[in-house]
Amino acid sequence: MSGSAVYALTGITKSYPGVVALDGVDFSVFENEIVGLVGENGAGKSTLMKILIGLVQPDGGTMILRGSPVSLKDPADAIRYGVGMVFQDGTLVPNLTIGENLFLCHENGFEKLGFLSSRAMRKAAQALLRQVKVPDDVDTPVAEVAPAARQMVEIARLLWLSRLYQQRNPILILDEPTTVLTEGERDTLFAILNEIKREASIVLISHRLQEIVENSDRIVILKDGRNVTEVAAASARIDQIEQEMVGHAFSADRYREEEQREPGSREVLRVDGLAKRGFFEPLSFVVREGEIVSLVGLVGSGKEEVCRCLNGLSRADEGSVSLGGRKLTPGSPGDAVASGEGHIPIDRRSEGLALGMSVAENVNLLVLGRLRAGGLVSPSRERKNAEQWIRECRIKTPSAATLCANLSGGNQQKTVIAKWLSSRVKLLILDHPTRGVDVGAKDDIYKLIRRLAQEGIAMVVMCDTLEEDLGLANRMLVMKDGKLVDEVACPPRRKPGPRDIIGLIV
Amino acid sequence: MQRLTFLGAARRWFRRAGISGQLLSLLIVIAIFAIGTKGRFLSAANLQVILSLTAIPAIIAVGLHQVVVLGGIDLSVEGVVALCVVFVGLLLQNKLNTNNVGLWIIPVTLGIGGIAGFVSGVCNTRFRIPSFIATLGMSWILWGLAVYVSQGQTVALLDARFQGIVTGTVLGIPILAIIALALVLLLQAVQDHTRFGRYLYAIGGDEVLARQAGVKVEQIKIIVFTVAGLFYGLSALFLSTRLGSSQAITGNNLLFPAVTAVAVGGVALTGGIGGAKNAALGALIVTALNDGLILMHVNPYAQDAVNGVVLVAAVALTIDRRKLGFIK
Repeated sequence: MSGSAVYALTGITKSYPGVVALDGVDFSVFENEIVGLVGENGAGKSTLMKILIGLVQPDGGTMILRGSPVSLKDPADAIRYGVGMVFQDGTLVPNLTIGENLFLCHENGFEKLGFLSSRAMRKAAQALLRQVKVPDDVDTPVAEVAPAARQMVEIARLLWLSRLYQQRNPILILDEPTTVLTEGERDTLFAILNEIKREASIVLISHRLQEIVENSDRIVILKDGRNVTEVAAASARIDQIEQEMVGHAFSADRYREEEQREPGSREVLRVDGLAKRGFFEPLSFVVREGEIVSLVGLVGSGKEEVCRCLNGLSRADEGSVSLGGRKLTPGSPGDAVASGEGHIPIDRRSEGLALGMSVAENVNLLVLGRLRAGGLVSPSRERKNAEQWIRECRIKTPSAATLCANLSGGNQQKTVIAKWLSSRVKLLILDHPTRGVDVGAKDDIYKLIRRLAQEGIAMVVMCDTLEEDLGLANRMLVMKDGKLVDEVACPPRRKPGPRDIIGLIV
Repeated sequence: MQRLTFLGAARRWFRRAGISGQLLSLLIVIAIFAIGTKGRFLSAANLQVILSLTAIPAIIAVGLHQVVVLGGIDLSVEGVVALCVVFVGLLLQNKLNTNNVGLWIIPVTLGIGGIAGFVSGVCNTRFRIPSFIATLGMSWILWGLAVYVSQGQTVALLDARFQGIVTGTVLGIPILAIIALALVLLLQAVQDHTRFGRYLYAIGGDEVLARQAGVKVEQIKIIVFTVAGLFYGLSALFLSTRLGSSQAITGNNLLFPAVTAVAVGGVALTGGIGGAKNAALGALIVTALNDGLILMHVNPYAQDAVNGVVLVAAVALTIDRRKLGFIK
């Protein structure tokens, strides 16, 4: 950490419609260090990373790279300054070979009379792969290479590129590099990173605090788009970092706990011995009338896949899902919907709403059968139904005929909820219902969720923050590494704190 | 050791080349018809016919397949060929007028094809019109122009030089087949060993990632459409001189065999897989199949049906369904 910063960002702000992603964040990278960046989902880590490599331009703040102020146009521009990122889902083109990917778009040095020398490229590629200890042949298409090796190939590419642009001490940004790795591969990764550290700086983002504490020199903690604190890894304790990440006190009654009801006695959802190989091990649970059950766990804990199996988007290997006493056909979203199951997806723009259709059309989509008069859908009934739900769900829209694409994120989400409400669902699966929604709309959504519960609808939720999970849920199911590890009751006014839970998750 | 590395390189090449399935299909087609026609299929005369009939579909398919590698489709071949053929008839020595531009006809037809491809490419990239519509529209525009310019007449050609090229043979091999082979080898080398080729496959593999890596996607796409047009223009010259006459409908019924050849050759409709050699092999398989069916006196309408089945089956085997969110 000696000397001056290679890359220094000060007062960075960035807002998206309805949300402030970053609010005056400072972040520096020094020579030859590994700096860990931690924070809950939505704390602003990924936005900060995208700004570092020019994928996103900040609204305000200064960026000083290698001593001079910069504004980066795109990742290709960042590379010229020796700043590159290894993304979670990879940036290697799958149908090209390792060697072709290593030098993609920078083949000039291997060109003779317009033709590329495959021998020279192979030789250079082999040397690079040796440095990052990848045993695969350079002519293997990337699609056939294991995730661990792919990551190494990306790292090798970034190192080579910064050498090509004659940048000393490149900065490598790794986003959740260990989620796809086995234990052994993880150790290898960190061994190599520690070796690379001698000639580079590394920014490490991970949910696994253990590996951050063990492998970084310095840890920067973000919460709600602001810097919370910065600690030296040597003196850091995991529980202390957890505390900083989730914050302290709850704001009074943000989640309308007062309105939380006792679940009814009737079972709505019964999951029996459900398992899917490679994702989660056999698990069983029950959700009752009017009950809100929150599914918590890290990305990769298997909770997403459980939800996909519940709503039929994915097919479990064994076990069953029953709704109101009837077994659902595995892997059939149509059967799930027909049986009274609703799904509010994380990506409402692509999965939850038809953006090119009006609010009314979206709200009525599932109940057209009920709105018929003489065999045809009756426009007047359609309008009446839509207006009723727009009122009840407080959708702020100029008219029922407004296109959903023109609504704000919060009102789009309310439209999705209205669609399911009007179809009289029994069970609702809410996948990050308040993602990308501003504070006011969040409150409306919490109100709606409470009302749904009052009406007896059972709910399975996955939230953006642990706080929100705790605030909304009657009961919490904790998943870790594909196993259902614990169940925590969350009665109103006697809810456990985030700190009690995070230990179970990590 | 030297031999081992050579074998290794050969194996690597073969594995990556992705033509083993095509060679196998070709062998099966040959075997079936060799038996079915009691050897007539394998006679020197028939093999010469197959090679000569393969050349033009192969040239068209090779031009078209690069658009497919990008993940698009080019449907403009029939219109481009129609207009080029009409110009060949009007400008080369003919029975209708006194024009005789001689070898200058080559830049003329290549120019028409190249400009048509360039415009399709610009429509696709700059105006963001799906290649399917941009090229289909282009085909009809050029077809309309061709009929308008030629006033629907057939023009007999008198130029003997070109006739010689398209009907001649060298050591028993049709010259057209040699030209087609040379083009295939040239383009294959470009695809394997130049930056253009590398970027072509990067875009076909994942356009977003390719752009992120710094590939000039629009530029490559426009080049690909233009090259396709050049190949169509060349095939038009050969087609009309082989017929000895020029009329707009010469362009008809060229698209289906070309698309079939591309698919049968193993060029995935989802992009990123298959090269010039695949398109050419596909053309050879399709031509051999049709030649065999004729020799076995199969009803011509049944032959059309067989070709339809072959096209759908080939696509089913080659597309990468992970890349398709929805099938439309």
